[in-house]
Amino acid sequence: MLPAGWDDEELLAALREALHARQTVPPEFVEAAKNAFAWHNIDAELAQLTYDSSRDSDYEPSTRAEAASIRALTFTSAHLTIELEVTQDSLLGQIIPAQAGVIKIQPRDGAETEFPADEIGCFSIQPVPPGPFRLHCRTAAGIDALTGWITL
Amino acid sequence: MRDDLSVAALVARVGDGDQAAWNELVERYSPLVWSICLRYQLNRQDIDDVGQSVWLLLVENIGNLREAAALPGWLATTTKHEALRVLRAAGRHEHAGLPPEHQMPLNPADTTIEQELIVAERNAALRRAFDELPRRCHELLSLLMSDPPPDYAHISAALGIPVGSIGPTRARCLGRLRRSPHLVGVLGDGARDVEVSETGR
Repeated sequence: MLPAGWDDEELLAALREALHARQTVPPEFVEAAKNAFAWHNIDAELAQLTYDSSRDSDYEPSTRAEAASIRALTFTSAHLTIELEVTQDSLLGQIIPAQAGVIKIQPRDGAETEFPADEIGCFSIQPVPPGPFRLHCRTAAGIDALTGWITL
Repeated sequence: MRDDLSVAALVARVGDGDQAAWNELVERYSPLVWSICLRYQLNRQDIDDVGQSVWLLLVENIGNLREAAALPGWLATTTKHEALRVLRAAGRHEHAGLPPEHQMPLNPADTTIEQELIVAERNAALRRAFDELPRRCHELLSLLMSDPPPDYAHISAALGIPVGSIGPTRARCLGRLRRSPHLVGVLGDGARDVEVSETGR
């Protein structure tokens, strides 16, 4: 089809808009998207962030002073929920529904570390990972879930 | 050439584990994901979260797409859902107390997303066509599109071409752009009106 409806000025303006749309996207946003492909042959289900208390502070101000220092995160996948609490020196978590399993911390670079989750799904991770990481949860029942990247 | 690949061909290659094809999809459509996030007035942290989820979900589901050519629509819809999820996680789905201008973007009409999609497809096609232009055309059009546009004397000095040939060269370059195979069916009479008319497609 010939673009009969477009004169040169309109074409140039549309091109400017198209290039501008590309320029406004931060390179690291594009880079992160490219890196997502590393997951293509991983069999785990994605556990998405469904709650983050740190993004919630304007709406539900804490009534207890000590609660202010604890950040709570919830990740949900098709078959699992992972609750996480960030304290000063550790991450406390629980797998729901409660079941035993193994939690792996995968830093962006560096070696994985493993932590056991007990029969009611509770686990404790020390120290708090310093950089971006994700949680890989494999339960005794064979459910495999990976969170997205977490930065505390 | 990679750039000539249709969305469906790229999707097929991604299914075979081709990272370069994946990168090409990302290059083409990350502006779409980004612009929809902006519509929902997400902050940067939330946009990164949405972007990560959208692309991870695509990695997970790319083998199950019923129609590979429908990928841009899938991306638009998924971005919208993920943006709403992030707003819910942040407790910002309650409209109460927010001024009207903040309420609106939380439920943009589907036609708005549809328009975003049409513009994004047109933009992606224009960028591909532009990227394949000969270097001289690339340079000239880039200069002509800069803001504010330089005068012809400046362009003449910058590119080493006579002032008198700038106009004709511009027309030739735009002619080449217009004839690009990427723009077949994209620059029709309807495409231009998409932002002012809701019957764009």
